[in-house]
Amino acid sequence: MNINKSNPLLLHPLNKWMKKKKWSWFPHQIETFHHVRTGSDVVVFAPTGAGKTLTGFINPIDDLIKLKKFKGLHTLYISPLKSLANDIVRNLEKPIKELDLNISFQVRTGDTTPYKKQKQKQKPPNILITTPESLALLNSYENAKEFFHNLKYIIIDEIHTFLDNKRADLLSLNIERLQTFSPNLQRIGLSATLKNKQDAKKWLCRKKPKIVSYENSVLPKIKILETKERIPWSGHMATYSINEIYKEIMKSKLTIIFVNTRAQAEYMFKNLWLINKKKLKIAVHHGSLEKNLRLKVENNLSKGLVDCVVATSSLELGLDYGDVEKIIQVGAPKGINRLLQRVGRSNHNLNTPSKAILVPTNRFEFIEAKAAIEEIKKNNLDQIDLKEGSFDVVAQHIFATACAGQFDINDLYKEIIKAYPYKKLKLNDFKQLINLIQDGGYVLKNYDQFKRIFQLRENKNIYKLVNRRETRKYRMNVGTIIENPMLKLKLGTKTLGNIEEVFIQNLSQGDSFIFAGQVLEFQSMKNNLVQVKRSKSLISKIPSYSGGRMPLSTNLANSVRALLAKSNMRDLYPDQITEWLKRQKNISKIPKKDEYLVEQFPRKKNFYTVIYTFAGWHANQTLGFLLLRGFKEFNYKPLGFVANDYAIVLWSLKEVKEIKKILNIRLLDKHLDNYLEETSIVKRLFRDNAIISCLIERRLPGMEKTGKQVLFSSDLIYTVLKKNEPDHILLKSSYEDAKKNMIDYNRLREILKKIDKKIILKKLTSISPLAVPIILEINRENLSKKETDEYILEDLENEILKEANVLSIN
Amino acid sequence: MYYQLINFGDEEFYAYPNKSLYWKRLNTLIVSDLHIGKSISYAKNKQFLPPYDTKEILNELFVSLDEIKPSNLIIVGDLLHDIFSTLSLKDQDHKNISQYMENTDFIWIKGNHDKNIQIEGFKNFTNYEIDKFLFTHIPIETPLFQICGHYHPKVKIVHRGKTIFKTSFVHNEKIFILPSFGILTGGLDINSKEISDVLGKKNLNIYPVGQDKVYKL
Repeated sequence: MNINKSNPLLLHPLNKWMKKKKWSWFPHQIETFHHVRTGSDVVVFAPTGAGKTLTGFINPIDDLIKLKKFKGLHTLYISPLKSLANDIVRNLEKPIKELDLNISFQVRTGDTTPYKKQKQKQKPPNILITTPESLALLNSYENAKEFFHNLKYIIIDEIHTFLDNKRADLLSLNIERLQTFSPNLQRIGLSATLKNKQDAKKWLCRKKPKIVSYENSVLPKIKILETKERIPWSGHMATYSINEIYKEIMKSKLTIIFVNTRAQAEYMFKNLWLINKKKLKIAVHHGSLEKNLRLKVENNLSKGLVDCVVATSSLELGLDYGDVEKIIQVGAPKGINRLLQRVGRSNHNLNTPSKAILVPTNRFEFIEAKAAIEEIKKNNLDQIDLKEGSFDVVAQHIFATACAGQFDINDLYKEIIKAYPYKKLKLNDFKQLINLIQDGGYVLKNYDQFKRIFQLRENKNIYKLVNRRETRKYRMNVGTIIENPMLKLKLGTKTLGNIEEVFIQNLSQGDSFIFAGQVLEFQSMKNNLVQVKRSKSLISKIPSYSGGRMPLSTNLANSVRALLAKSNMRDLYPDQITEWLKRQKNISKIPKKDEYLVEQFPRKKNFYTVIYTFAGWHANQTLGFLLLRGFKEFNYKPLGFVANDYAIVLWSLKEVKEIKKILNIRLLDKHLDNYLEETSIVKRLFRDNAIISCLIERRLPGMEKTGKQVLFSSDLIYTVLKKNEPDHILLKSSYEDAKKNMIDYNRLREILKKIDKKIILKKLTSISPLAVPIILEINRENLSKKETDEYILEDLENEILKEANVLSIN
Repeated sequence: MYYQLINFGDEEFYAYPNKSLYWKRLNTLIVSDLHIGKSISYAKNKQFLPPYDTKEILNELFVSLDEIKPSNLIIVGDLLHDIFSTLSLKDQDHKNISQYMENTDFIWIKGNHDKNIQIEGFKNFTNYEIDKFLFTHIPIETPLFQICGHYHPKVKIVHRGKTIFKTSFVHNEKIFILPSFGILTGGLDINSKEISDVLGKKNLNIYPVGQDKVYKL
């Protein structure tokens, strides 16, 4: 089609409004309109500021005006965040109100009042803006079919956030359900720029799939903070740079400082206030803050009432904060996409470049930051790998289906395998998941009289919910996002936010920590309330952050390796980094792009082996555990290991003479299963699986279980099941999850497959410059929970015995 | 089997890692809070716990009985979780139990969970006195030394920055509380109000149960 010659959008109802605003249509909007009108499912890739939201609504609005006074639900818009959903409503309101179009639209999320939800069900709007969880709930109602049977479009916003997780699985199943209700349904996906656009298309589109892409030609301006200070070997808090960061904040009207963890956010915020001589308005924003506090910060941000906000990924997606002038990223970027997303938060204007400064917190991060900038210049984005769908989400979906009414399992299976993540779901696994919902799916049929769903006697393929009470349980447990056990933090009667139970358990009365930018003193914990008071002390512990370490993307890791191998160091780095690398070159070696450097040296009576994999923390952690086993087998008497994104260090009593015999693909095949058995990874994932599949409930009607109770009973179930029914579908599901996510199985496999021919072994007399950062990180214990527990008990008992002996001798 | 020696009321008791207590002088084995059939009882609310608890609890008990061959077995309450629990006892289980009853005297003290339930062949007591010891589910006002259950005590241990919870035997001068012998049974912190009200907070002897060993704190 020749877009320039004929622009069908000039006849669109919104054209008048566009003209009034002196805006013109983007080429991708014209193209999308055409494809959708001719019956295609489309994924649109466009940067922020390129009218993405409007792009999704062009066809629905056109249709609705042509259909005149269409009654019922016509278009469903899915947003990843509640706050975004509200923002969409505001954006949609402007043209519809100003043009006085006869189109109704409403938002429906967890925050919508029951009254309003009820009204929506009786009299649905033409356009409904909602979240994947709310969609799943709508599909679980008995009248879901009537509600959706005229649905024409489903628009998935920020589809790139939905591709590689369980939320995506849930959404994909519910989209297929909608397609069953309304076979004419068309799908429109809106995405930030992606490397593997085809994958997004495969995931979403069924009818004449099309990709529409609009690339931004204006590259962001990103540089690394120039510092006169010494960049430390290791550490993650960027204390050295605080004064220079402060100067950068002063230079711009409005700055967002992005950090990677909540602990970093609190620390940065606190430190900025300590040097805030100019009385700048600085705020902090992270996911654990109470909603009202967060909204206040967001509000101040959009009105330009603050000078700087320190934030975690909580501010990554979402609202347009037009006045943000500069982004400062403190800590490793971890991935190109993530960095671009963050950088894109400044200057929401297509034609002016975003501005960002990167602040590496240590020397490896400097190289990573530099590599990220290079990749962005080349527009080399990270790949988002689609994953195979998880079993537990299917189980939840089966329960939801039963809530909506009796169903035929063959029909349900056929519908599920239409969803891209479940193309390969085996009938046998599906049947086990049916059993899981029916009675827990145990081999021992003890629960015949207590089923949740049952087969009709006249037709064994039809299943039905035992009683309607169960629907309430489903509705209180819908969704795939499982938080760590959290406790409510109370200052007087005011709620400050949520904090990890694990962190609080380690505190004694009077211990202090930073939260929401204040130093607080722990007083007491009761049920799930933690009472604190303001502390006068400035010394504090910092909330731990267990919300997941962000993995270093494979793409960026490769780029780091390539950069490191370059010989023109003086052009690339400041003197201190160059010196560090030069010394490394003289003493040991700097690995080439496809080489794996292994250094070995004696240190303090022990023998050290450092392996530079650049595989990311997850994969390195797993490799460390596997190597421990390998070393043990060869009788090198290993003592421990530490891993970070770039390397692993192991120390042993004996010299590791034959590393090449251990470090290869056989290591994975031989020890992985064993490793999974013994560590708590699968156990932890089992908890998520048990909750998502509704085997155990996180919330019962009328009462909320505290996190610990859930954790406790799921651990017991896990132990009992493993012993008695090792083939149970939920164990299988947890094991698959472990392989997929936690241990970065495929990445490790790829590396180990080719590693043996590429090992460069350096025997040194002492520690190398490149090894210093990871050696400094040695302080963690790397024993499994079971071992740690025994160790703690043993140790404590010995200490007490010792004390007792001393006393008796005296 | 490894055991931890505990002196209580001038008598010697052995605490085993399987959460049973043995009184050697009288060749008496003591267990508490088995909560047999808890999984079944949860299943009636559609919370499907794995149905292996009954089998596992009984097996563990039978192993102890085989090894120790006690003259008496005292169950200090909550043998069963509730009335549905009896559903999980199969004919074979009943047969096995009656076989063990031939050599061992089963003394079933009723707990709050099973006070209204009967099983054929079992002798029931609200509490049971031997010498200066009273066996009871929940402690009562008495000058005697008491051995009881009910609370499922566990201890919170903070050591070198790590926190763990461990099921424990615990006693003060007069009252001894056994841990739960059950599988899917939770626990209550020794510092909780409920347990403090019974044992007080001071001079507690705490014996956390490890993998193959009972420790002493």
